[in-house]
Amino acid sequence: MGGLIEITLGIMTAVGGFVDISELVFAAQAGSRFGYALIWVFAFATLGIAVFGEMSGRVAAVAKQPVFNLMRQRLDFGLGLFTLIASVVVCVITCAAEIGGVALMLKLLTGAPYSLLAVLSALALVTVIWVLPFKWIERVFGLLGLLMLVFAVATVNIHPPWHEVARGFIPQAPAGLPAKDLVVFAYFGVAIVSAVLFPYEVYFYSSGGIEEQWGPKDLNINRLTTIVGFGLGSLLALAILINAAVLFRPLHIDPQMPGTAALQAAIPFGRTGLLLALAGMVFAISGAAVETGLSAAYATAQFFGWDWGRYKKPRDAPRFTIAWLATFAVALAIVLTGVKPLQLVEWAVVSSIIVLPLTYLPLLLIANDPKYMGKHVNRRLTNSLGWPFYGLLSVAALAALPLYLLAHGGAL
Amino acid sequence: MKPDGPIKLLAELRDLQIVDKDDRICGICDDIELEGKPGGPLRIKALLVGPGAYEHRVPRWLFAVVRLVAGRSVTRVPWSSVETVTSRIRLKTTGEAQGLRQVEDRLAGWFGRLPFA
Repeated sequence: MGGLIEITLGIMTAVGGFVDISELVFAAQAGSRFGYALIWVFAFATLGIAVFGEMSGRVAAVAKQPVFNLMRQRLDFGLGLFTLIASVVVCVITCAAEIGGVALMLKLLTGAPYSLLAVLSALALVTVIWVLPFKWIERVFGLLGLLMLVFAVATVNIHPPWHEVARGFIPQAPAGLPAKDLVVFAYFGVAIVSAVLFPYEVYFYSSGGIEEQWGPKDLNINRLTTIVGFGLGSLLALAILINAAVLFRPLHIDPQMPGTAALQAAIPFGRTGLLLALAGMVFAISGAAVETGLSAAYATAQFFGWDWGRYKKPRDAPRFTIAWLATFAVALAIVLTGVKPLQLVEWAVVSSIIVLPLTYLPLLLIANDPKYMGKHVNRRLTNSLGWPFYGLLSVAALAALPLYLLAHGGAL
Repeated sequence: MKPDGPIKLLAELRDLQIVDKDDRICGICDDIELEGKPGGPLRIKALLVGPGAYEHRVPRWLFAVVRLVAGRSVTRVPWSSVETVTSRIRLKTTGEAQGLRQVEDRLAGWFGRLPFA
C-alpha cells in the first residue's frame, strides 16, 4: 500500500512539475494564433520526452550513469565540454525565465514591484533548497502545481468543439496561411518541441534516479512515471492551448504575458478560478526554477567529478552547492537587467533545442550498449521511436535559430 | 574486478568516475600516465586527475581558459591503488590518502559553519 502511495505521489509530482513557463506561454499563444493546429506538435513532443525520459531513467537504474558522465565518455572531452558550457548557459537562461515568471505572477497577485518580487522569489527558492529535505521540495512544488488542473476543468466546462480538437492530433499546417505566418507557425512548432523536451528535465530526472539508487526492479515505475506522468502533464498544457483557442482566438487576444493564461480559469469560474490558476502557476514555475537551478549544478558536478546530490546537505556536496547558488545569482542578475520574461522564454527555447541533440546522443548510444545495459538495452520499439525522433530533433535544432530570426521571435 | 589482460585504455579508463573505498566521489580519470620502453609493453603507471590533465585534450586556447578558471593542478593516483574498474574506478584507500577530495574537504569545513548546512 505504501508503495502504491509512493508511485501515485511520484506520478502526481511528475504531472504537477511538467508545466513550466515556456509551455505556458507557447501553449497559450499557439491556441490563440493557430487554433488547434499545433496540438499534434505537443503530442509528438510528449512522445519524445516519454521515450527519452524512460531511457534516461533506465540508464540511471541499470548503468548507474548520469547524463554528464556519459557526455565525456561518448562525445569526447572537447565536445562534452562544449555541451556542458552550452547546457549551463541554457539552464541559467531558463532559470531566469522561471524566476521572472514567478515574479510576474506574484505581481498580479500582490501588486508589489516586479524587481522586488524577483529578488524575494529567488531568495525564497534558495532558502527552500538549502533548508528543506529534497523529497519535500519536489512534492510541495509538484503537488501544489496540480492546482493548475483548474485549466483542465475549465476546458471541460467551456465545451470546446471536440471533433476539431481531435483533428488537431493529425499532423498539419493550417491551409491558406501566408508565407509570413507559415514561418511563425514553424517557429512555434520548434519552440513547443523545445519547451516540452527541455534538456534540464532529463538531467534532473536521471540524476534523481541515481540518487534514489534505482535498480532494475524500478524499471516499471520508471516507465509508468515517464509515460503516465509526463503524458498527463502534457494534457495540462494542451488544456491551456484548447482554452486559448476557444476563449482568446475569437477576440484576437495574444496572450504574450504568462499571467494572461490565468484568465482562462477566471472566465468560467470567476475569482476562485483566477486565484487557483495563478497559485498553481506560481508553484509549477517555482518548481521548474528549482529544477533548472539544480540541473546546471548537476551537469557541472557530474562532468568534473565533484560530489553532487540534492539529498546531501550543502556541506557534503560543497562545490555542487556553490554551482546552484551561482546559477540562481546569475539568473537573478539577468532578470534584474530588466529584460522581459517573454524574451527570456524565447532565448531559453531557442538555445535549448540547439543543445538537445548533443544531450540525447550519448543517451541513445549507451542505452544500446549491452556492456553497460545487459539485457536492458533498448528494445526495437524504443529504437524505432528514438532514432527517427533524434533525426527530427536534429533538423529542428538546425532550423531553430533561422526560424527565430525570420519570425522575429513570433512577433511578426 | 580489475582487468589483468590488455585493456582499451581510452575507452575503458579515461573519463570514468573515481570513487574511494567508502564510495565517495573523488573525481574523474582525466588522463592516464604510461610507462614503458620502445619495443616493450606499455603499462599504466597512474591515473591523472585535475584540470592540468586537460592540456592534451582540448585546444590550446581552451586550456588557457581552463587554467585561468581552475588552475593546472594534477593529482597522480598510482595504478597500484586501484581496486576495481567497472563503470567506475574504485580505489583501495580513501580519496584523501591519494591527495584527492582536498577542495571538497576544505569547502566542507567552511560550509559546516553555516546554519542548516
